Amino acid sequence: MPEIRNFTLNFGPAHPAAHGVLRLILEMDGEVIQRADPHIGLLHRGTEKLAESKIYSQSIGYMDRLDYVSMMCNEHGYILAIEKMLGIQAPIRAQYIRTMFDEVTRILNHLLWIGAHALDVGAMTMFLYAFREREDLMDVYEAVSGARLHASYYRVGGVYRDLPDEMPKYEQNRWNNAADVKRLNGDREGSLLDFLESFTQRFPNYVDEYETLLTDNRIWKQRLVDIGVVSPERAKQLGFTGAMLRGSGVEWDLRKKQPYAAYDRVKFDIPIGTNGDSYDRYLVRIEEMRQSNQIIKQCIDWLRKNPGDVSLDDHKVTMPKRDSVKGDMESLIHHFKLVTEGFCLPEGEAYAAIEHPKGEFGCYIVSDGANKPFRLKIRAPGFAHVSAMDEMTKGHMLADVVTIIGTQDIVFGEVDR
Amino acid sequence: MINTISALQQHLNERLGAKIQRSKIAFDELTIEVKATYFLDVAAQLRDNPLVPFDQLIDLCGVDYLGYGDVEWETKTESFSRGVSENSSARFDFDRTSGSVDYDGKRFAVVVHLLSIPNNLRLRLITFCEDNDFPNVDTLVNVWSSANWYEREAFDLYGILFNDHPDLRRILTDYGFVGHPFRKDFPLIGHVEMRYDEDKQRVVYEPVTIEPRVLTPRIIRDDQRFSAADEVSE
Amino acid sequence: MISTLKHYVKTFTLFELLQGLSVTGKYFFKKKITIQYPEQKTPMSPRFRGHHALRRYDNGEERCIACKLCEATCPALAIKIESEEREDGTRRTTRYDIDMFKCIYCGFCEEACPVDAIVETRVFEYHFESREGSIITKDELLAFGDKHETQIAKDRAVEAAYR
Repeated sequence: MPEIRNFTLNFGPAHPAAHGVLRLILEMDGEVIQRADPHIGLLHRGTEKLAESKIYSQSIGYMDRLDYVSMMCNEHGYILAIEKMLGIQAPIRAQYIRTMFDEVTRILNHLLWIGAHALDVGAMTMFLYAFREREDLMDVYEAVSGARLHASYYRVGGVYRDLPDEMPKYEQNRWNNAADVKRLNGDREGSLLDFLESFTQRFPNYVDEYETLLTDNRIWKQRLVDIGVVSPERAKQLGFTGAMLRGSGVEWDLRKKQPYAAYDRVKFDIPIGTNGDSYDRYLVRIEEMRQSNQIIKQCIDWLRKNPGDVSLDDHKVTMPKRDSVKGDMESLIHHFKLVTEGFCLPEGEAYAAIEHPKGEFGCYIVSDGANKPFRLKIRAPGFAHVSAMDEMTKGHMLADVVTIIGTQDIVFGEVDR
Repeated sequence: MINTISALQQHLNERLGAKIQRSKIAFDELTIEVKATYFLDVAAQLRDNPLVPFDQLIDLCGVDYLGYGDVEWETKTESFSRGVSENSSARFDFDRTSGSVDYDGKRFAVVVHLLSIPNNLRLRLITFCEDNDFPNVDTLVNVWSSANWYEREAFDLYGILFNDHPDLRRILTDYGFVGHPFRKDFPLIGHVEMRYDEDKQRVVYEPVTIEPRVLTPRIIRDDQRFSAADEVSE
Repeated sequence: MISTLKHYVKTFTLFELLQGLSVTGKYFFKKKITIQYPEQKTPMSPRFRGHHALRRYDNGEERCIACKLCEATCPALAIKIESEEREDGTRRTTRYDIDMFKCIYCGFCEEACPVDAIVETRVFEYHFESREGSIITKDELLAFGDKHETQIAKDRAVEAAYR
């Protein structure tokens, strides 16, 4: 009788279901996984080391590129740590704008997640539908920051610019006649807030559609229910945060427990799961999208009623207004000083965390009093989640690995940094 | 119920007593520093503390304190010099990688961020490695499972060894990478660059050709504008 | 009992699958939202950050005064400037290179420029034909600015209120 041995399977690093550059070394007994050894670091760019050589404000753009599907949330974590050390707070309107865009980002992230997750598991339509909605939110991103993905919109002490009063519009061409243009521009007549509001009115129906397609679907359930079960105790031990922790039934959300920005002023609920399997995490994230939609609505109402400054008037930290730079010597000096030197943080160390769509995103800054960080450590939620891959996949079939990668919602930009 | 950091500080001082070297509250965060020999012991006590159970290890990272407080541009001198002197970490060159020889303090620290979910409290636990040439501390894998990969990362980037770690391999850098890239004496531009060689039909490594550029020098201002809020408007 | 029966009926009639098919079937007859990209484009924001350009004043004089703020603020160190005094005694750049491979399109250079010389335009479709082509020189940037000046000026005018 021949000797029966485990065999080793190389998965990735460019596997389409690996959500980026994950290389998994799987030790298999037949089709059952005995051990999974994820090799990460293929997208390591040394963001933290790079940040040590740049003044604080210059690293904002690099934060976008960590988790490149939830750009503004990364910036928020970084900005909060700096603001904490400076002891300043952005104006209330900027806080609301940040809250609104954090939630827009959360929807963006969850839409990409559900699209990719469903596509991996076998439901192709979801990907197309999710990207249709993402397109609208990308337009919101572009209108406000000038970039669809890498926004670099948040600034220390506020945000880059106020929300625009006009949305860019379609123009008539040989593809679109006057009637088409009128239809396409239907939502775009008003301001950015009007555009976003009409999106929030449509969005719950879209989520209903996703649920019709997936929630009761027998194939979806067969692929997700009881796959990758994590008990609440293990979830805490493994450093899970965000939807991964809530899916296991631990009621923990930084937006509620340690509120930042304007989260203590808006109403929302946090969904939690019961079984801790992939299906529960799916349900949690679907409900999070609905809650985010509610938060956006509340922020829109508030922002409509309360115009005001979006960045602090303290020009030792924030850029002065354009016309004052041109007309006023003091502002010009502030402008030059901020660009060539930036601002110094007091000596010490601080850690600030936000509820990122994927979990707890934190920035730990050690400052020696200079205008550049001495050490910046980025706590990426995905890192802890991938490290649990071995435990979550053990004893499952090869096909379930794809489900587990999907349910962890990992993006290698943040895992590898 | 302990739910403020000052109460936590008091509680930990009573409970851990002499094991705490330094305990400090800054920016609404509590930091405690322990000797490397007590590191594992204190960590286990913090997790099993019945009043404030720190049930999650949120983050673990290494810090290299070489060159702490060094500047590239003196701000006290009367006349500004245009040149930027080569005395800081960003401008180390290959021949001057000094290591711990000319640094007398303890270089490597391990910083752990803990979270207590029932009490909604955070804590930062710091320990300095005793030996600069062979930095090592005990592993926390048996206390919190999530420490596993964080320790591999700290080992990879800083060369800090974690005693009894089950699987201490490199994690973020390339297979066969030499050195620990986040150490302050490792230049930002690195040591080698990689390209595909047509003749040899394989990837070759060569010394780097990039020139380091520093456009905004590192400076430290003594007049801390942000320590007092009323100073701002002039 | 009733619920078990309901469950069986639903299972054997493929109820939830048909429900899902009705959603996709509905979209089969709806107007398509896809766009025929190269010919047809989505609207763009005046804040858009694309290809760089150097601008001139109305009298044809280049705006850039070689203050090097953009060089200092560039997080990716993509900009390289050398300057010299010109014959008329003004300070101007002799070299203004942007490495488009290094550039991360963060818009900080435009924000830093005190004379609105360096701007990021709406142009996002461009290519190079060699690796060296990624470095855009001063002449190319100025020519690019001249070509798109109407659009650039229009966008800056719209945005002036927010900056």
